Amino acid sequence: MIRLFARLILRPLRAEPVRTLLTVLSVALGISVVLAIELASDAAAGSFRSSLETVAGEADYEITAVGGLDESLYAKLSQLPIPIKVRPRIENHAVLLESKQTLPLIGLDLVAHALDTNSTNAPNPSNPPASPSVTPAPNLAPGVSRGVILATASNRKPGDTITLRINDHDHLLTVTKVINSDTAFAIVDLGLAQDLLSRPLKIDRLLIEATDNLEPQIKQALPTGATLAPFGARTEENRKMLAGFRSNLVILSYIALVVGAFLIYNTISVSVVRRRSEIGILRALGMTRTTVLTMFLAEAALFGLAGIAIGVPLGRLLAEAAVGAIGATVQNLYVSSQPGLIALTFLSSLKAVLAGLTVTLAAAWAPAREAAAIAPVEAMARGRKDYDTSQTQFRNLALSAFCAAAAYFASLAPPIGRRPLFGYLAAALLVLSASLATPAFVHYLTRSTRHLLKSLLGVEGLLASQSLDASLRRTSVLIAALITAVAMLVSVGIMVGSFRETVIQWIDSQLTADIFLQPAVPASADRFPTLTPGMAEKVAALPMVTMVDQFRAYPIFFRGLPVTLGSGDANVVRQRGKFHLLEGDPESAYAQMLNSDSAIVSEPFVNKHNVHLGDTINLPLGEKIHPIKIVGVYTDYSNERGYIILHRSRLLRYLPDPAPSNLAVYLRPGTNLTQAQRAIENALADSRVLILPNQSLRREAILIFDRTFAITYALELVAVFVAVVGVAGALLALVIDRRRELSLLRFLGAARTQIRKLILCEAGLIGLLSVLGGIILGGVLSLVLVYVINKQSFGWSIQFHIPIAILLGALTIIFTATLLAGLYPARVALALNPIEVIHEE
Amino acid sequence: MPPNPEIPVLQFAGVHRKYQNVSALDGVSLSVPPGQLLAIVGRSGCGKSTLLNLAGAMDFPSSGTVHIDGQSTTGLDDRALTRLRRDKIGFIFQSFQLLPNLTAAENVELPLLLAGQPQARERALDRLDRVELGGLGHRYPHQLSGGQMQRVAIARALVHRPRLLLADEPIGNLDSTTGATILTLLRKIVSEEQATIVMATHSPESTAFADRIIEMRDGRIINPS
Repeated sequence: MIRLFARLILRPLRAEPVRTLLTVLSVALGISVVLAIELASDAAAGSFRSSLETVAGEADYEITAVGGLDESLYAKLSQLPIPIKVRPRIENHAVLLESKQTLPLIGLDLVAHALDTNSTNAPNPSNPPASPSVTPAPNLAPGVSRGVILATASNRKPGDTITLRINDHDHLLTVTKVINSDTAFAIVDLGLAQDLLSRPLKIDRLLIEATDNLEPQIKQALPTGATLAPFGARTEENRKMLAGFRSNLVILSYIALVVGAFLIYNTISVSVVRRRSEIGILRALGMTRTTVLTMFLAEAALFGLAGIAIGVPLGRLLAEAAVGAIGATVQNLYVSSQPGLIALTFLSSLKAVLAGLTVTLAAAWAPAREAAAIAPVEAMARGRKDYDTSQTQFRNLALSAFCAAAAYFASLAPPIGRRPLFGYLAAALLVLSASLATPAFVHYLTRSTRHLLKSLLGVEGLLASQSLDASLRRTSVLIAALITAVAMLVSVGIMVGSFRETVIQWIDSQLTADIFLQPAVPASADRFPTLTPGMAEKVAALPMVTMVDQFRAYPIFFRGLPVTLGSGDANVVRQRGKFHLLEGDPESAYAQMLNSDSAIVSEPFVNKHNVHLGDTINLPLGEKIHPIKIVGVYTDYSNERGYIILHRSRLLRYLPDPAPSNLAVYLRPGTNLTQAQRAIENALADSRVLILPNQSLRREAILIFDRTFAITYALELVAVFVAVVGVAGALLALVIDRRRELSLLRFLGAARTQIRKLILCEAGLIGLLSVLGGIILGGVLSLVLVYVINKQSFGWSIQFHIPIAILLGALTIIFTATLLAGLYPARVALALNPIEVIHEE
Repeated sequence: MPPNPEIPVLQFAGVHRKYQNVSALDGVSLSVPPGQLLAIVGRSGCGKSTLLNLAGAMDFPSSGTVHIDGQSTTGLDDRALTRLRRDKIGFIFQSFQLLPNLTAAENVELPLLLAGQPQARERALDRLDRVELGGLGHRYPHQLSGGQMQRVAIARALVHRPRLLLADEPIGNLDSTTGATILTLLRKIVSEEQATIVMATHSPESTAFADRIIEMRDGRIINPS
């Protein structure tokens, strides 16, 4: 069997090394992309760990409240007559100015740790400082020194002075201890943290260690606004939230592998067609059907294994490149986190191996079975034959229509567990439908344009068209592969383009102020650094300023899911804003916000929590729970957590922290922007504030948007690259298979240039048909992406928009690449010796 | 310009052709005047096919000269050789060599299309009429019998009115009755159209239709009469 395999399968593969290599390369690329996204998304989102979980150690419960907890609760709980250990934490972020590195700033009660008699070790992630084994640095007592325990990659040593930018101020601190750790963080004493953050007597979280189930007793001691949850519940919620994002990415990564599968199918089909008479002879000589089937499946497995051998290390390398981009998207849209290390585990490698082998064997199954079914007499009598697909065309068209109808119904189904599973199914069915319709599409199009091609491209165009039509069996699979890749590019391009256009329009309606102010430290979807209170008044006092809106945001949890609670001045929005309310009357909404506990909420919030206009939601604010009425729903694309927006003065009643997260400054008409900017800089000279004119903020927003989708485009391009490589390989097969025909043309007077032109015409036709089919399929897929998958995954509506220029550019590149893919096969065709070929025949 | 009856359509002068160290043709000299049906006989490997390849401007002699309709093939580049084939030579093969994905008419018009000549379809249909296949132009090769396929091949070889028709075992794949019909047709073409045919053959029936017969052995002509 092995000898047979070596002679009948390996030898032909060795005889065509370039084609073999191209097929292996396409499988390897598919596998590497799947593995890279698996590893990178796992590092950035899958094994999610919030930055703020740094040095949290183990605990049983955690207590939180919107706007923070009063420090007195720490003392109250510590004094309860129950066996619990309570650890207070302040959690924020700071920028280490020397390295511009953003790191978690954690405030801990270091004195309490110092008093713990069992303490032996310094705080680090594996030995949390809250455990009894902590020895504080000698000069860490609050009020004695502004000391900090630092864990960064930089070469700091105890005694060094560092500058930490926290919110809008810089603080000089002395390093008291340096910890070796994979993750960077800074630990300060609780009191110092409160001082640095201007949040006296407030803490963010209390971690509880309890030996028994003491939940009821602890709950009794809590104010109603505080939440007691099992420790890690929020991390788990964040992880769940990221799961959807991850699965979208993983599914995108499989496109390249699916395109690779088409090419495997094509390769094995070509093998079967070419060796038809050979198989007939072997069957006549006694080879069983099972052996034939096994041999062709083994050929596919060989491609799979070679692809895996290259794809796995390549995937590991690509993961390094992808993790930064995925991490940035997670930060922008979801939650502050630090990507973990990329780990090529046995499990992830096994997954890649299984995915690669499954896809290649599944793709090869149909042609291998067909090979096994070949009747010896028929195969030998008729010799090599290119199958006539016309008989199956009608059946395939009917199946295609069935798949399209099924896709339509799948697109109407609701999500399952906040995941658009039926949306994915609809997309897959559409791809299947298009693949089934491809032979008919190619047949009718080549037939109907034959004369046009002849008049445009001469006899070479006519011959190319006839050849494509005559070898539908193999060319249609190839074209289906390229159509799929192009369609994915087109649909994702339209989806991202629509999203981008919608976001630009949304930014126009949101960013109505002339200048925006925010602390000069990075923010993210759950991180809202604040400005010093009173800053708004200082700016408002400037003569060129007419109005200042103060916006404050808090990351909160609502019904177990992360949400952003915000407040702004409803008056300003009413006068100057161009807020587009999807539901609710703007005038009445703003009036209600001014006078009652009412809020407008964002579209993702409504979709995620299934709430509606007029509903009342209970929000734990400060120490109590407050009923808030929803009076409007607005479009928002800044993050997918969802917003609840109250009027500033109403929220201040319950969360009396006046520090705004950012300011929107409106100038008098005709004011010179640069002068206004300078005046604000002077007025706020003692603070570290970013002063962003409207235009720069818009630019920044679009930049973040484009960066977010960069990885999506990269994945699409890999799929297209795989398909184009496939075109080169398949054209090569066509050339080798049509040696006789090409040689005969030379006998009949065809010049070498005509042979080259003929092959390039075929490549061009394949490219053109694929681009055409890709546009049609991509257009339909984009509807599923925009109105089903996107809506169900993220909860926001986007307006359909076709980025014509970008798509035209991309499609031209694909067409050109396909044409270029014909160059090498054309060279091979020209190198044929017509005399030898005809003599052989 | 009308063909000059004084100039041989095909002339070999001391032609040698070597492939590595094997001598396929060994000093062949030959002159074929217009309107002659020449049969070349000999065993397999005697050099018949090599002679046809050189006569068809598909190959170059290692030494000596080959003139086709007065034009030497020596020193011609690929483009010029292609033009020579296109204008002056037609090929007929033992296994017909029709393109399976083209209809009979499309196969016949192919040389005209490759040469960029006008009215290709009309001329192709006319040629098919002459080989008595009028009305079968729309059929694909697999829908034709062996004899019909060879007639299509002959029509294709003649469609551009070549001066020289090269036939390599034209009836090798046909039964004797069909073979005879094809040979009659070739004879008729020579008489009616003043075409020159050089035919490599094994069969004694074929030689009966020839004006002249030469025999080859080991790359040489052994009866140069």
